[in-house]
Amino acid sequence: MHIQELAVLRQNGSLLTTHWNSDLPHISCHFTTKYSNTGKIFACKHLNQHEGLFTRFVLQGIRDWKIISSAAPGLKFRALSSSSSSSPPSAENTESPETLSRYSDRPWEYLESEEYIERYGAKPVWANYRRNHKGGVPPQQTRKTCIRGDKICGNPCPICRDPNIIVHYKNVNLLQQFISPQTGIVHDPTRTGVCMKQQKLLNKAIETARDCGLLAVQLPHVDYSKEDYSNTHGAVAPTPAPVSLRSGELWYSWYGSIKPDERELARVKRIYKDYLKPDV
Amino acid sequence: MAAFSFTRCLVRSYFCVKCVDHVQTRLQTTTRMFCVSTSRSTQFTDTEVQDILTKITGLDLKKVFQPIRQQLTPPKYKLMTDTELEEAVRKAEEQAKHLLKMPPVLPERKPINDVLSEDQMLEGMNTAKYVFTDINFNVPHRERFIVVREPSGTLRKATWNERDRIIQVYFPKEGRKITPPPIFKEENLRVVFEQDRHEDVLNQCVVQFEPDSAEFKNVLMLTYEDIEKHGKYDLLRSTRFFGGFAWHLVNGRRIDGLLVDMLQRDLMQDAVRLVRLFNLIHPQSESAQHAQRQQATDLNLLKIYAQYESNRAGFIELAVQTYEQTKAPSSF
Repeated sequence: MHIQELAVLRQNGSLLTTHWNSDLPHISCHFTTKYSNTGKIFACKHLNQHEGLFTRFVLQGIRDWKIISSAAPGLKFRALSSSSSSSPPSAENTESPETLSRYSDRPWEYLESEEYIERYGAKPVWANYRRNHKGGVPPQQTRKTCIRGDKICGNPCPICRDPNIIVHYKNVNLLQQFISPQTGIVHDPTRTGVCMKQQKLLNKAIETARDCGLLAVQLPHVDYSKEDYSNTHGAVAPTPAPVSLRSGELWYSWYGSIKPDERELARVKRIYKDYLKPDV
Repeated sequence: MAAFSFTRCLVRSYFCVKCVDHVQTRLQTTTRMFCVSTSRSTQFTDTEVQDILTKITGLDLKKVFQPIRQQLTPPKYKLMTDTELEEAVRKAEEQAKHLLKMPPVLPERKPINDVLSEDQMLEGMNTAKYVFTDINFNVPHRERFIVVREPSGTLRKATWNERDRIIQVYFPKEGRKITPPPIFKEENLRVVFEQDRHEDVLNQCVVQFEPDSAEFKNVLMLTYEDIEKHGKYDLLRSTRFFGGFAWHLVNGRRIDGLLVDMLQRDLMQDAVRLVRLFNLIHPQSESAQHAQRQQATDLNLLKIYAQYESNRAGFIELAVQTYEQTKAPSSF
């Protein structure tokens, strides 16, 4: 008799566990959440045990539900293998919520997958997200982060709630959803609902994408009429070699025209008599 | 052109009054080297060349005044008479002409290798270079003194790259980064060219680099080559870069692709102007000499060019013939 266990962490933090006897031919369990407006159902199907197939979990619309491997301490998600009981329960590698995704190498592929289209359609990922706050005016800053260590808060932001959505500078379609199409300005987090940590990552990714030319940038018009490009000034041209004087020539042309005062000249000559050249 | 400016500098400056012999001989050699290309041939800035290039670029108001991403304001509606409307269109055309001013095509700037003083005394005193910049506000950037004291004690003028970086630090220009962004690397350029966004790359290049720097010319050349290879001439039409592009092609004697494109779009006048530009820049070429001899105008120029210089003579002649046939019955 094989007892299979499934643990699900609900969005309000409560833990739901279920066990079933995997010797029986077929079990399917359905959970509906009373919070979902769209009525998405989380279903798990257990294929026929006699065929010796291992169980596959089909996740349909994990709007508010998440399977976490090591979410709460002491909880292990045992991957269901073949019927042999002797094989030790091979756990799926204990991944934290942030890295659990098969799109981590190529995050842009997720936006074309059926999963994404069924969940979000043509709207941006933040379209159906609503923040929970007291009063009519929301706090002007969203929460600092949705995921602290292994714990996820209730009502995570649009990026944190779906582990397949990865903020990467090459994921242009995702980044475009957070930029206004008319003004080209990045949307404020109070509008999209993302947490501040993800907003910072978004800003950095958008800046990198713009630098690499993947996103359009609006640049000012450069005026060339006022600049002089002759490069003749001494600052940028080679300095000419110092000119040596030919005999009889003065360093400044006005040296010869100014006559010194005779008495001053005599006085200075007398003072510096010992240092002057003999012929002066 | 650079040699002449160098001579002009020496004529104007104080030191040239007492010219030393070796400087004079150096001048003579440089003038002899450059006189073939600069004094006789046409320059980018000649009025006739500029005139031809502006006419080829065209003036598509819808493309020039494409809506850009900016802070939105509510739209304004005005009721105008016909004369007022014409006046408004005329003003728009003037503004468009100002926006379509071509970036200058300059010879590559010579590197600065000037040592001002060597002080062995200061060797080993510092571990870093010191850069001294003149930050007076009313000095043009090309006349700004920027010198570097190396740890070995030499005081030298800063190189062009260092100059650009330092000037961007103290007098930042909008849109320019201190280090060139990664869009100008080969792999990123390839991606952007595949998306047909050559104009964006050229805008970035114009904002980031000075027009006489090596990187500017390199990026421009890569863009032009890509457009020429894939025949995407229409991307640049009615932008400020078409003139430089046409100049680059004509200097390289590769105007066949562009001519064919113009003929396919029925731009006969533009094609004629392009061939006239070719004859201006290469007066020794066969087509130019034949045209000069026969005093050819308009379509005859095209025919002469197709006959002597072009690789795609058949297509050009066919296009000219079809144009003449369509024009002849319509003139009745």
